[in-house]
Amino acid sequence: MADHQSQLPRQYHEAVMHWQRHNFPDYPKLPEQWDTYFPKDEAFCLCARIQQNMPEHIEVGDRKGQPKAVAPRELDPKAAEELLAIIRAQASTEFGSIQQHQATLARASDPQDQAWVLRVMAEELRHGYQMIHLLTSADWSPVTDTKPQDMVEEILSMKTGSHVLAAFNLEYDSFVDNIVFAAFIDRVGKYQLTMQKVNAYQPMASSMPPMLREEAFHLAAGVIPMRRWAEAAVKSDALITMPVLQKVVNKWFGRGLEMFGDERGGKTNVRLGLKDKTNRVAQDEYIAECDKMLDDINQRYVRARFPRLSRDEADALYARVKADRGAIDGLSWDDDLLKLPHASFFRRRGESAFQMIGFDGGTFTDVDAYIAHVRDHLPEAYVASVDVKHWAELQRGVARGTVPLEKALSSMPRLARVGGACPCANSVRWVVDVEVSPNGGLGGQETRLSP
Amino acid sequence: MADDVVIRPMTELDLEGITRIDERITRQYRPDVWERRVGYYLRRDADSSQVADVGGKVAGFMMGEVRGGEFGLDEPTGWIEFFGVDPDVRGRDLGRKLIDALLAHFRAQGAHIARTMVATRDEDIAGFLKAMQFTPAPLTALEKRL
Ligand SMILES: CC(C)(COP(=O)(O)OP(=O)(O)OC[C@H]1O[C@@H](n2cnc3c(N)ncnc32)[C@H](O)[C@@H]1OP(=O)(O)O)[C@@H](O)C(=O)NCCC(=O)NCCS
Ligand SMILES: [Fe+2]
Ligand SMILES: [Fe+2]
Repeated sequence: MADHQSQLPRQYHEAVMHWQRHNFPDYPKLPEQWDTYFPKDEAFCLCARIQQNMPEHIEVGDRKGQPKAVAPRELDPKAAEELLAIIRAQASTEFGSIQQHQATLARASDPQDQAWVLRVMAEELRHGYQMIHLLTSADWSPVTDTKPQDMVEEILSMKTGSHVLAAFNLEYDSFVDNIVFAAFIDRVGKYQLTMQKVNAYQPMASSMPPMLREEAFHLAAGVIPMRRWAEAAVKSDALITMPVLQKVVNKWFGRGLEMFGDERGGKTNVRLGLKDKTNRVAQDEYIAECDKMLDDINQRYVRARFPRLSRDEADALYARVKADRGAIDGLSWDDDLLKLPHASFFRRRGESAFQMIGFDGGTFTDVDAYIAHVRDHLPEAYVASVDVKHWAELQRGVARGTVPLEKALSSMPRLARVGGACPCANSVRWVVDVEVSPNGGLGGQETRLSP
Repeated sequence: MADDVVIRPMTELDLEGITRIDERITRQYRPDVWERRVGYYLRRDADSSQVADVGGKVAGFMMGEVRGGEFGLDEPTGWIEFFGVDPDVRGRDLGRKLIDALLAHFRAQGAHIARTMVATRDEDIAGFLKAMQFTPAPLTALEKRL
């Protein structure tokens, strides 16, 4: 393998393992299930991986052609500041998704789907570990006064409800969320990681390829079960139906779009050499890819529903129903097939935040009608959540002019459990000092594992 | 038209296209078989297996990976395991481009040899592999009906 693996200094490694015991109790099941579901795969390693032989010169932006930075102080100060925010946000998503997945992992109805999600979660833990590696293996003091221990502490203290991005503050209602999240939200992750492969900070760029290889499996762990559910959904006694899947898609799609940042932004990151695409460009590609994903899943459904049709006939039937948004031979666009909501539907950030755009792109003028419309497109369990209640209040306030848009844009619902140190009685921090080793500083050195 | 061929690593969104090509070649619709295979290769090494994308549609695929220790062959070996090119676009070098990309990846992973197996009756595949400079290996495939 063309990557170099290492373990974090002991105090940080222990902090992550401690976090795992509280937030990811199913982690020890992974090695038990490995040989059954992933026979002969290289064993999972909770370690930082750095790709070798990556470009050494800046690939985009104002400093294109200059050597990449190997330490934060070599970066343009503005770039260093932006990068630090990106790493912290990325770390928050990795740990946040584990907290979300863990809550409903046990409710999977298929052991293979469950084992795949378990592996996804372990790999997210490795991604979070990778981000902590970036924060603790370099001197960020030119950029921030916060000590590395405190940055790590802050990340590990976040709970569902206090993460940086809204997508990681929503609780899962059922195992359908685990799967649809992998298909939609991990896909945004793939875009972010791909854009950051050019990052002007060499250790960041070199962190991306190993993460992206894992991300490819996360997307499969979302799409393949969705395909199978779509096939099973043709039966009259199906448990997971197409309308159920549709509502879960509606819950996540807007939050995924918002992870790209405001549609009008992203130019600074390109200029600073941190990413190679602006927010809107990346978001448009993402939308097209999600549309293709739903086409594939729908075609799986159509083939199962009309087994007598040839491939070409089934493709033609689907194309006609999609083009007309109609119904042919009992196959209905509205009732049977999965659709991508309009990109402005149920948005809370970005260009179309709180604009009252419906599922099909139509504009609402009456706020009560809009809230009822959104409600009818979301899963019941989610509608009953504080997240939706909070959104409805803001939406009403913005529409009536009692809440300024800027205030609504930055408002997050407060869940009951917010933040927090380690819940163990005998400890108040995740990161605790370990004895100074004879040859290392505080917490010791990274352990090189390979090659 | 020949210009818009892109060879790139396979993703989970190529499943429908791969199933379609297989269906055109074998006349069988086997989505579950391809879901299993694509899931396998993506989790093993997502950069390895390749597809040929022509104007945004998958027109060919080639799946394989580097493994060591098979049949007591200890050296890392690039195994070419499943491939197919849409019959409508055969003879346009898609097969060659796919194999070039896969072999380049095998080399980058440290393999110095690529191997595959062909059924005697699959003369097409044997012809293609011969044109790709594959030669008979000093191994004999044996079997016994049970
Ligand atoms: C074999 C196959 C991949 C070739 O794809 P292709 O895109 O048409 O091949 P290319 O155009 O890249 O051809 C490359 C070379 O192979 C040669 N070749 C291709 N098919 C050949 C055949 N049947 N016999 C002899 N040579 C052949 C070509 O002549 C060309 O050689 P050249 O460059 O010296 O002229 C394609 O025919 C196929 O998919 N066959 C069915 C595969 C199958 O059954 N798969 C299921 C089992 S996994
Ligand atoms: Fe991740
Ligand atoms: Fe992921």
